[in-house]
Amino acid sequence: EVRKAKCLDFTLWIEHGEQTLEDPELQCCGHDRGPVTVTMGATVPTGFEHCAAEEVREKLGAEAKISKDRGRIYFQMSSDSLPLVHQLRSVDNLFVVVKEYVDYQFKDSKEETLKDLQDLASKLPWTNPLEVWKLNNVLKKRRWRRRGANVSRPNPSSDGAKEGTQEGAADTETQSLEAEPEQPGRVEEDYEDNQGQQDKGSAETGAEGTPGVLKFRVTCNRAGDKHSFTSNEAARDFGGAVQEFFQWKADMTKFDVEVLLNIHNNEVVIGVALTEESLHRRNISHFGPTTLRSTLAYGMLRLCKPQVSDVIIDPMCGTGAIPLEGALEWKHSYYLAGDNNDQAVNRTVNNVAHIHRKRQEKGCGPWGLPIDTVQWNLCRLPLKTASVDIIITDMPFGKRMGSKKRNWDLYPSCLREMARVCRPGTGKAVLLTQDKKCFAKALSRMGGLWRKSHTVWVNIGGLHAGVYLLKRVAKAGWRSTPLFTPLVLMI
Amino acid sequence: MKLLTHNMLTSHVKGVTKGYPLLIKATEVKVSEVEFNPQFVSRMIPKLEWSALVQAAEEVGHLNDLPTELLPDYENNEEFLRKVHRVLLEVEVLEGSLRCPESGREFPISRGIPNMLLNEDEA
Repeated sequence: EVRKAKCLDFTLWIEHGEQTLEDPELQCCGHDRGPVTVTMGATVPTGFEHCAAEEVREKLGAEAKISKDRGRIYFQMSSDSLPLVHQLRSVDNLFVVVKEYVDYQFKDSKEETLKDLQDLASKLPWTNPLEVWKLNNVLKKRRWRRRGANVSRPNPSSDGAKEGTQEGAADTETQSLEAEPEQPGRVEEDYEDNQGQQDKGSAETGAEGTPGVLKFRVTCNRAGDKHSFTSNEAARDFGGAVQEFFQWKADMTKFDVEVLLNIHNNEVVIGVALTEESLHRRNISHFGPTTLRSTLAYGMLRLCKPQVSDVIIDPMCGTGAIPLEGALEWKHSYYLAGDNNDQAVNRTVNNVAHIHRKRQEKGCGPWGLPIDTVQWNLCRLPLKTASVDIIITDMPFGKRMGSKKRNWDLYPSCLREMARVCRPGTGKAVLLTQDKKCFAKALSRMGGLWRKSHTVWVNIGGLHAGVYLLKRVAKAGWRSTPLFTPLVLMI
Repeated sequence: MKLLTHNMLTSHVKGVTKGYPLLIKATEVKVSEVEFNPQFVSRMIPKLEWSALVQAAEEVGHLNDLPTELLPDYENNEEFLRKVHRVLLEVEVLEGSLRCPESGREFPISRGIPNMLLNEDEA
């Protein structure tokens, strides 16, 4: 039996079976359900905003704007394109923008400011963003059904409204970059096992009490030193007004709608989340202690622009995150994942096998990927000299893996051996490391082998790291250095 | 281990100067399906040691009718490129070993992973 949905009144929203929003029986009052255009927001690894913008341009044909609030981009999208958006690989989380204030005028007193925020709730253009939110749920459900019964959805954090920062001094919220968060949008290529809880219930009917009443929470991220209020207070008061307006039920843990209130100095953005923030630290032990986020792996790969027939190696592959991401997105290159550790190579092979199985299940064409795994010592690579086009890796951070002292010995031998196997002139390396001092010193001793081309500063779980793009210096006799260099050396 | 990988691997045991190509002994071989990209194959060919590839294909029993010499104008020969594609990317050694042609040292292959780690005294 089909129950009518009141399209503008989001208090009651009930979906029956496979029927979609387009189903005429779910419409009422002739409300036009054609595609709507909305502004989308996406969080991306800090430092890779341009990379994400490029991907958006390529895959959606939309121009993205990079927010002053680092780690965010915005772009226009038709709700028709929603499935495409979920295929973006440089994006961590997606939300629909309800309203953006480029220069919001905060009142001086806390009371007045909070009152303003409360008044805002009923005046915002919620309709289209919530349409997209609904459509997104329909898409999610379809994917879950295809995957089968044992899919789980990550349970959002249970410690209340996700706080920005404390009041007072200039503070910014660090983008917490979890290793390998669950990304419900990327089902097909998702090689993470679902060990999370079974929590599908709340997305569908959204209530234990009154059937059909949506549950929501407000997450406020605040950055800036001139605000008279805390993110907690803003979330609380704005949330209260939202509750009044929609008659939704507030629930910090099992919510259907997550309203985002992002305040960065005078920039205020209100949005509705389409993906869940996940804090999947428990998955780390399954995938290795320092598994790299696939969005970061994607960003690093984009930096080196894999070309047709490029031989790309990750000599410290860990669980194989980088080569696997490469083999999925840039299939025209060849990926060699290598590590000296037994567990690492086994995990890599398992991850690759997992993806192969998924692709076989989908049954659309050849499922094999151009990727292979070798167990090796990266200081003595069993590869022919000048046989590799790109070296891309996440180098051990002194604190989490290995030790700072070991890095002093490791980095120079690493760089030297990598230089040996890398093709002079055309070869490149993209290296992620937190041990910037050690790396810089090791690199300075290799002026003849590597040239620094570009550096991207990123934030990995609160630690500041650098992604260094290096070019392999051409062999002597090749015209690659400026003519006046020898003169400078003589002086 | 795919044969494209094998084409790049070399023995690096101390003192060895002719550690390439490694001789394959395969006890389990598998063939998978990888999407054919003619550009990939034709641009990869110049980076390969052709004779080593042919020898490797023979050692794993998948030489079929792969020519021992590179065909001229192979870039436009789709039939040829498809044969090369198969041998480079689709044939995989799951179990077996690689032997250094000079020192005789064997590197085991298990679950498709060649273990190229050296002992202290070999490095």
